[in-house]
Amino acid sequence: MLLAIAWRNIWRNRRRTLIAASAVFMAMALALLMLSIKYGSLEQMVSVGINQVGNLQVHDSGYWQNKSIEHSFFDNPKVEQAFKGLPEIKRVIPHLQTFSLASYGSQTKGIMVSGIDPKLEDQQIGLSNKIIKGHYLQKNDEVLIGDKMSEFLKIGVGDSIVLLGQGYRGVTSYGIYKVAGIFHLPSNEMNTSILYMNLTDAQRFVYPYQKGLLTGFSIYLDKPSLAEKIKPVLEKKLGKDYEVITWKTMLSELLKTVKFGKAANQIFVLILYVVAAFGIFSTVLMMTMEKRKQYAVMVSIGMNRKKLVWLSIMETFMVSIVGVVAALAVMSPLLFYMHFHPIPVTGDMAKMYLQYNIEPILPFSVSSSLFISQTVIILTLSFLSALYPVIYVLKFNVLNAFRH
Amino acid sequence: MSIIQAKNIYKVYNETNVPVNALNGVDLEIEKGEFTAIVGPSGSGKTTLLNIIGGLDLPTEGDIYIEGTNLKSLSSRKLIDFRLHNIGFVFQAYNLIPVLTAMENTEFILELQGVPKKDREKRAMEILETVDIADKKDHKPGQLSGGQQQRVAVARALASQPKYIIADEPTANLDSKSTEELLTLMKKMNQKFQTTFIFATHDQRVMDKALRIVTIDDGKIVSDTQFER
Ligand SMILES: Nc1ncnc2c1ncn2[C@@H]1O[C@H](COP(=O)(O)OP(=O)(O)OP(=O)(O)O)[C@@H](O)[C@H]1O
Ligand SMILES: [Mg+2]
Repeated sequence: MLLAIAWRNIWRNRRRTLIAASAVFMAMALALLMLSIKYGSLEQMVSVGINQVGNLQVHDSGYWQNKSIEHSFFDNPKVEQAFKGLPEIKRVIPHLQTFSLASYGSQTKGIMVSGIDPKLEDQQIGLSNKIIKGHYLQKNDEVLIGDKMSEFLKIGVGDSIVLLGQGYRGVTSYGIYKVAGIFHLPSNEMNTSILYMNLTDAQRFVYPYQKGLLTGFSIYLDKPSLAEKIKPVLEKKLGKDYEVITWKTMLSELLKTVKFGKAANQIFVLILYVVAAFGIFSTVLMMTMEKRKQYAVMVSIGMNRKKLVWLSIMETFMVSIVGVVAALAVMSPLLFYMHFHPIPVTGDMAKMYLQYNIEPILPFSVSSSLFISQTVIILTLSFLSALYPVIYVLKFNVLNAFRH
Repeated sequence: MSIIQAKNIYKVYNETNVPVNALNGVDLEIEKGEFTAIVGPSGSGKTTLLNIIGGLDLPTEGDIYIEGTNLKSLSSRKLIDFRLHNIGFVFQAYNLIPVLTAMENTEFILELQGVPKKDREKRAMEILETVDIADKKDHKPGQLSGGQQQRVAVARALASQPKYIIADEPTANLDSKSTEELLTLMKKMNQKFQTTFIFATHDQRVMDKALRIVTIDDGKIVSDTQFER
């Protein structure tokens, strides 16, 4: 019966309850909309990162801690076999990366040589679209360099670049390659320091005595969330000579930024909630004042104050839950619709998105944590608002309440 | 043994700068089945005494025993529970929970007492019939006249099967017809079920029906008369 009393009590002053509930509704709806867009773009940043590094990487054990060429390994049936049995794996891209000196004319620079499978790499990050001069890798002994590196070394398409580095097992690696194309990627660091060449060229450069040397595989899964599940499976299949690193480890810096970004927005949204909380609180305050006599009758006839505490808490929560339910009922279909029919981005923004090989859209997040966190915030604020009536019903003097 | 024994009760209100001596040594015993009116001029201490008898307030000095239980010895939580199981209340106004129907108001006290739902409904219905308001059982207090509301209040008080019912000026807001009806009802309950009623009143019509009239002035009992009617 307490539930019925609480529910009917809040509707005794229909207009006031509706005003308070709509304050909650407005705050929550706005917060959901804002955060959905913000979360969406932050989550998109993460997918950009995943797109670059894969959901998992397999290396020689110890490589992640110490990225030395000595921690490379030869491609072998055991590894290939391990990947085969897992249908969740969508794509496997082999890599060989090593540091080297690059020189042209009188200029010399420390760079990262990245041996890639031109076809696979293009499918994954769309490298061929990023070529601004010359052409994509076609033959052996060709390399691609970034526009910044080309400026620094004063080297152009068709020129020969000399590489000198530390090979595998103490070998000195040495080679002359023709610059086939110059790329421009969104990351300036990559434009300055990465040189792409055919994987087989890189393998010959680092260790000419045996084929198939790799520093790792990037593995792409159907869903990023599968990474945690697949990691132990792969680890077991591969044994302790290899390590399996998930995107969460590889992108830990980015994830920290994303987390911070989400928190920063939360603070902004909090201002909205202060308004909502004020709405709840003033309603609760007035409800309590109005019901002093009702509460006094209840305690007089023998209702203990603990039950009365429940009653007043229920009344407070009901007001805000009306707002929360309305906000969820209106916003979740809307946000889900926007999630599946996102707004296309145009102009420069679109160009930037395309450079990252991402669809140029304004993504809306519908992650459950978004809805849950907002509901929790409102309920927490309601709880705080409920403290006033709770303290009142625990303390009030029955006879005084009658007299007023 | 009397159900109520008030022994040398003093009550001082200290809320303002000037202490108010509302009761100055009241001794009163009430037996089961009494139909007693406490009368006296305004400010004489009727409400104060009734609140103490009803366990809503405690005396500054002196003791109040209900069938041997000293109300002063109970914690405030126990006192609420004591009221729930032993005392019925009919106030001057604001008696009922406005959002509950007549039936629900009556059931409410049974629910507080922990009576199972089925028994609750049956008993509430019976009592509403007894006080002759069953046809209005689904009406909320706002849809009832003052007299009807007071009858529901009596029904609620009766439903809890208390040792006695206190009523502070229950007819103050009623017209003469409703006053008559309410008094007849309470009298009937008193005769039929031996329910003890104690009320404070200014109302001559109430006094005319009382079997005992305790007159109080300046916080002291000045006369105490029993009637055979
Ligand atoms: N809470 C209080 N604080 C201070 N004085 C009070 C308080 N309650 C009652 N009094 C005073 O105590 C005295 C007795 O009051 P009480 O209400 O018992 O009188 P009453 O006989 O019921 O009067 P009435 O017929 O007007 O209802 C009065 O002088 C009143 O002003
Ligand atoms: Mg009075």
